[in-house]
Amino acid sequence: MSARLRAAIGIWRARDVRTAGDRGFLVYMVLMVALVTVAPLARAVWLSATSAEGVALFASPAAPGATMLVVSSMWTGALLLGRDRGPALRPPFPTHALAVSDLPRSSAFRGPVLRAGGLVTATTTLVAGLVAGSLAMSGLSEPLSVAVFAAVGAMVGVITTVAWLAGQAFPRAAVPVALGVLAVGVTTAVVPVIQPFTPSGWVGLAYPGTSSSHTLIALAALTATLVAAVPVLMNRLDIAVLTAQAARWDSATAHVTSMDFTTAAALYRRRPYTGRRSRAVRPMSGLAWTFLIRDAIGAARTPGRLVVGVVALTASGVLITLAFAPGSPGWLLGAAAGLIAFAGLGPVTDGIRHAASVAGDFPLYGISDERLLANHALFPLVVLVIVLLAAAVVCSILTGIPAASPLASALALGLLALFTQVGNALKGPLPPELLTPIPTPMGDLGAAVRMTWAVDGVLLAASAGASAALAFESPLLLTGVAVTVVIVGINRWRHRG
Amino acid sequence: MIEVNDVGVIAGNVTLLAPISTSVQRAEALIVRGRNGTGKSTLLRVLAGARKPTSGTVRIAGAGVIERDRDFRRRVAAMIGLPPMASDLTVLDHVLLVATTWTEDSTAAAELTHGVLAELGLDSLDGRFPHELSSGQTQLFGLALVLARPFEVLILDEPEQRLDPDHVESVIRALRARRDAGATLVVATHSTSLADRLADRTLLLDAA
Repeated sequence: MSARLRAAIGIWRARDVRTAGDRGFLVYMVLMVALVTVAPLARAVWLSATSAEGVALFASPAAPGATMLVVSSMWTGALLLGRDRGPALRPPFPTHALAVSDLPRSSAFRGPVLRAGGLVTATTTLVAGLVAGSLAMSGLSEPLSVAVFAAVGAMVGVITTVAWLAGQAFPRAAVPVALGVLAVGVTTAVVPVIQPFTPSGWVGLAYPGTSSSHTLIALAALTATLVAAVPVLMNRLDIAVLTAQAARWDSATAHVTSMDFTTAAALYRRRPYTGRRSRAVRPMSGLAWTFLIRDAIGAARTPGRLVVGVVALTASGVLITLAFAPGSPGWLLGAAAGLIAFAGLGPVTDGIRHAASVAGDFPLYGISDERLLANHALFPLVVLVIVLLAAAVVCSILTGIPAASPLASALALGLLALFTQVGNALKGPLPPELLTPIPTPMGDLGAAVRMTWAVDGVLLAASAGASAALAFESPLLLTGVAVTVVIVGINRWRHRG
Repeated sequence: MIEVNDVGVIAGNVTLLAPISTSVQRAEALIVRGRNGTGKSTLLRVLAGARKPTSGTVRIAGAGVIERDRDFRRRVAAMIGLPPMASDLTVLDHVLLVATTWTEDSTAAAELTHGVLAELGLDSLDGRFPHELSSGQTQLFGLALVLARPFEVLILDEPEQRLDPDHVESVIRALRARRDAGATLVVATHSTSLADRLADRTLLLDAA
């Protein structure tokens, strides 16, 4: 770090100097969180990983292939993430000040990149160590393999960080490269003969019990080459990208701090740049058709987002079907299906969010707010019925699970997830009354209530999925969740604007 | 067309709008002027039904102001701040969709759309998405959305905001055309040229 850079960062940090009391409280808070939350969680994860089921999962013949898929997905995700939020990120003002200076960006943004890379690498190293440790504890691999696979995990973390940075440095090229990485990863996982020639294959071949020194050398060489490219990548960072990412991240963290997750997520919603010559509004005999086509073309203008939404809905349909497999943890798979369906509906419910905004503003359209919302609900309804039900039918056929129950549950889940999206769109800012402390013998429950309000959409979607999976065992549960979802939506509609 | 009787707005112990009375006839343009904080936007919000007065009454076409009433919504159009915009629609799509919801005649909707866009100088920007517009273009786009729907009363808060003199001129022409066609206008503005060219009457608000 040059003297100029040190001085500049020093000035920025000096405005936020903590008192001794503040520092003491911070240490106390970190210790308490570590003792009360992190330590029990880490113990639970270790016990789960070393349980008979955990060891069986890690020792299964499919584990190396699954590892290849996970690693290639991680590199793909890192490349795509870098386009919106890269590792070279400081607060907006220092980002601008350093980016317009003559200081090399490899020096100006080294600290944030090292911190981000350190976090990623520590995480991947821990996960790899956990897997290898679990197998070593059961005598299924050598103790040395723990250190070796942890080192592989560290290298995966470094490569992930470089991919993340590359996505930030080359946002446009990141998409095709990410798709290529994913394609190679999937191919590697299903075609064993090419595993010695691809990076994700090297990781799979280094899996405990199958370790090969050649692949380790290849992975180390790749990691070293990529690390050497880091300064070049950093010096290619564009000022517009840096300042835009810094401003957006700053704004998003401010919204998250005030528990406004919806607005924070909206900041990262991709905006359309294609399909402008394809008319979205085509006056037809019925307004419902006009809105259906308008929403479909509108969604297709961000094709990547639409594909992610459809894939998520497909995954949701698969999970809710698997929830009916004998011996499966049905409620857990159902809850996961609910969460994924809720997220997957996001890209196809832009019209619903627009209707919610219009409903709280001055009259613009020549139809009532209720009809506007109903018209905008048609497109997501059509998409979820087609995708969820098709996924459930195909999964039923492939797995031999009778289709009737999964189909009914998928339909119930889809409708509840859509209702939850409507409620979420109408949510508005945090009601001031929730800021009131709720004193109890256990402490102030106000924060818990505010957090519940902030993530109520996610909680309702997970509950909807779990109750849909248990619909035939406990129909009252599904009824209760459905009533709650509808009441929340109606209440927000009444208080809109 | 509009009757305002002793309308005032108080929030807590702060006077947002001192009691005021006025009336506006059909095909008349009332310009509301006054320094910042004198209650211009508050008055417009009361007229548009977005805020209830703490004293006095407002009647538009003989009826009370009920923002969710169907007849009121059809009669009164307002732009106080920018209207909500859909990020996935182009300028043309937006205006056409608004026009389409007000008429069964698709040809008339298309003609109205192209007419409004040309009137405000937005026809060359019809393929842009809202995030691709400058602040002045966004202001014109907001006006286009409001002008694409039918109304008897048009309420506007500083329509000249962020506009260069040429575009202010376009807005004045568009508003005069609406007034000449029989619409009643209530416009709050800081623009002397807009006030001079459009006003049939001027209401000057004093500090509350």
